[in-house]
Amino acid sequence: MFVTFNGKKFPVAEGRTVLEAARDNGLFIPSLCYHPKTGPAGKCRACVVEIEGMRGLQTSCTIPAKDGMAVTTNSPKVLAAQRLVVDLMLSSGQHDCLSCEQNGSCELQNAAYFLGIERPSFRVDSEPDFDESSEFIYRDHEKCIQCGRCVAGCNNTVVNEVLDFGWRGHNTKVICDDDLPMGTSSCVQCGECVQLCPTGSIIDKRSRGQARSWEVEKVETVCPYCGVGCRIALHVDRKTNRIVRATGVEDAPTNQGMLCVKGRFAFDFVASTERLTTPLIRENGNFREASWEEAYSLISSKLGEIKTKHGADSIGGFCSAKCTNEENYLFQKFMRAVIGTNNVDHCARL
Amino acid sequence: MLSDSLIKKLEDAAGKYPCRKSALLPALEMAQAANGNLLDRGDVAEVAQQLGTTTSQAWGVATYYTMFNTSPVGKWHLQVDTNVPGMLAGADAIVDRIRKRLGIEPGQTTPDGMFTLSIVEDLGSCGTCPVIQVNDTYYENMTPAKVDRLLESLKGGVMPPRRDAGAWGSECGILLKNRGNRKARSIKGYKAGGGYAALEKARGMNPGDIVEMVKQATVKGRGGAGFPAGMKWGFLPKDDPRPVYLICNADEGEPGTFKDRQIMEYDPHLLIEGIAIAARAIKAAKAFIYIRGEFGWIADILDKAVAEAGKAGLLRECGIVVHRGAGSYECGEETALIESLEGKRGVPRIKPPFPANVGLYGCPTIVNNVETLAVIPFIVQNGAEAFKAIGSPANFGPKLFGVSGHVNRPGVYEYPLGTPLMEIIEAAGGVKGNLKGVIVGGLSVPILTADEAKSLKMDFDSCAAAGTMLGSGGVMVINDSASIPKIALRAIRFYAHESCGQCTPCREGSAVIARLLGGLVRGTGTTKDIDTVLHMCDTIMGTTLCPTGDAFSMPIRAMVRKFRSEFEALVK
Repeated sequence: MFVTFNGKKFPVAEGRTVLEAARDNGLFIPSLCYHPKTGPAGKCRACVVEIEGMRGLQTSCTIPAKDGMAVTTNSPKVLAAQRLVVDLMLSSGQHDCLSCEQNGSCELQNAAYFLGIERPSFRVDSEPDFDESSEFIYRDHEKCIQCGRCVAGCNNTVVNEVLDFGWRGHNTKVICDDDLPMGTSSCVQCGECVQLCPTGSIIDKRSRGQARSWEVEKVETVCPYCGVGCRIALHVDRKTNRIVRATGVEDAPTNQGMLCVKGRFAFDFVASTERLTTPLIRENGNFREASWEEAYSLISSKLGEIKTKHGADSIGGFCSAKCTNEENYLFQKFMRAVIGTNNVDHCARL
Repeated sequence: MLSDSLIKKLEDAAGKYPCRKSALLPALEMAQAANGNLLDRGDVAEVAQQLGTTTSQAWGVATYYTMFNTSPVGKWHLQVDTNVPGMLAGADAIVDRIRKRLGIEPGQTTPDGMFTLSIVEDLGSCGTCPVIQVNDTYYENMTPAKVDRLLESLKGGVMPPRRDAGAWGSECGILLKNRGNRKARSIKGYKAGGGYAALEKARGMNPGDIVEMVKQATVKGRGGAGFPAGMKWGFLPKDDPRPVYLICNADEGEPGTFKDRQIMEYDPHLLIEGIAIAARAIKAAKAFIYIRGEFGWIADILDKAVAEAGKAGLLRECGIVVHRGAGSYECGEETALIESLEGKRGVPRIKPPFPANVGLYGCPTIVNNVETLAVIPFIVQNGAEAFKAIGSPANFGPKLFGVSGHVNRPGVYEYPLGTPLMEIIEAAGGVKGNLKGVIVGGLSVPILTADEAKSLKMDFDSCAAAGTMLGSGGVMVINDSASIPKIALRAIRFYAHESCGQCTPCREGSAVIARLLGGLVRGTGTTKDIDTVLHMCDTIMGTTLCPTGDAFSMPIRAMVRKFRSEFEALVK
């Protein structure tokens, strides 16, 4: 089917909203509360458009695209409404891009750029209001635009049910449990809220000030922590060769952008100086570095000795969730077929 | 810690609803009452667990509604309504008197913990304001001298009895026929006047025929939007396996509106009869009366009347639950009301789907205003033609007009639709002083100048032709002693306070307009500010998720455009 945007016809797949249809065709309509995972919310009102045959402005995120629909996204009326919405968001709170972690990947900034809003027109008083109580997540309420993506994600996507809205009107605020600091709330720090936040309101605490968004290279990989195999993007600062932060890959079938606290925040080990890089052999109570060949032959001879002396069942094997499924398979095969015992287990079972 | 007896009460409340979470508002109210008028965090978490919701959702609800105190208040919580009708009747002088007498500012508590002074939004007492709500009790028609006596009494630990108040008049004798008849509050008295005969007749009718009759009568909804009730009923899906719910919207929060309480307080069985008939017509499984929480004593009256009707076997087909709100104007919007009835924050839903298809608990739901449902017995009893014989073309039936502000006898008057506004104002004792303007349909409609108001007929079409709306029929009369910029400022502060906070133009737009108008009234505003306000109103119109954006843009814009010189005079 086809939808006309600003007089030009575009092909549109079935089951898409007007906003999705526009995005599929590379057209930009500002929108802040919609996220493919949390669905249409119709709340921020930044995505209003005119649709032929429908009265007044319509939120493109909530209207299903229909064949033959004629949509206007650039009339003075539409742009005035979009501008006012984005201007009001910029005017409320403290959207200081200079040192904001989200600078360059902020959806509010993009909307302001698209609409040509250089500075907020209105003055709305606000007081510094942030929460740094959590180990990994930093919340700046002054950068919150009440889009509700974090709340929807917490309750409907990862179902941790920690976040909700408290109070109302201009005082509306995202709360953890009964407005506890995040660090003392029931939050498990999965970071889905960080993943979904369109502005710099909820961010990875430890990545603050580490690198600008355009300075990092996103390297996609599979999370090393367990067998689920979540796809993860490591944001690597090539200058220092350090991982600045990790995000979930949204279109990954396994995890759809969701991660657990380890996958999202526990990547320190990669650059740790404590990390083992060669096998170590203990001699007279002290470790010394060895080659893999030397280590393997030592393991092989020792295991052979024990097996001959005490029998195969005197040996047990314990494998790690950090290994791949294939590696775990091979390990149990090794224990059963080569060593000859069923004494094999895995840390994920504990 | 919730006591065992409280948990039992909470369980009883939960048992009344098809879904336990619906009992969240009543449960929080119980927890607050049991804890000296303060909501304890631990109690909120326990209530959440008991009802199967999350702590954050319960706390979100507790902080959303104004009647929940999440920080301590004094033994006597003095809540003064300073909204526009109160303002016109001298509510600010009442606040001043309390401030002087107690030495506290609004929002403060006396050091001995006896009194807290709060400024609150419209309490639905526009014809009997100034009003002070002390804890749960209304004291109406207050004067500074009465304030002194009230405070003395409270200091002595005595809460004076609440007095029935308010003038009224009825040209039609349909909606207010029992207003002066105390006996009609009981089922016996109501029946003695011919009550429940219409329900009896309806029981002999096919539900479809009742719907048809109401369609024929063309009852335009009395809540404010004026959507024909019969047509609304006709939107229910046919042959749908889901239960149908009927909700009576008794949230009456539109400033200037105090009509539904006249029916509920003085003729509760009239409403119950209307609900029972409507429930039969739409084959409702259950009916709810969502009444604003501040009307606690009226909810008690309804509870008693529902119990009487139930005992008399009149509610066998469809039970009625009286559900108390907890302080939110927004819950008057039907989808926000449904959310609230589901035990959530009162935020509106996106339409479509409309409640007739996806409403309460995702089921087909009809939401009708009190006054709309209260005319149903007359229609069933006398036929659509008798109803259409009242009023003007295409605007049929009797209508309650609440007249407040600068008139000599503020009150509620029942007149046929199409009655000249001036005749209604005359019934209310005429204008005090020189007429400057009239807001004819509750605060959310555009103001009319004295000239525009002179020849206006009070029905839906005439008001629309005059560039305003009949709305809820809450008529606020303004004389030349009042400042329109101050009224505009008070109005926008109300909307900013009541904005649910969900969508940007309403949440932030109302706050910005309040700031700009505040500057103008303080004398620090500029001519550009006046134009900015107009631009914002023009742009916000039609941009918000629910009608609240229009509800403040329209009246503020009209006040600025029609009385611009008053705003300009404030620019220094």
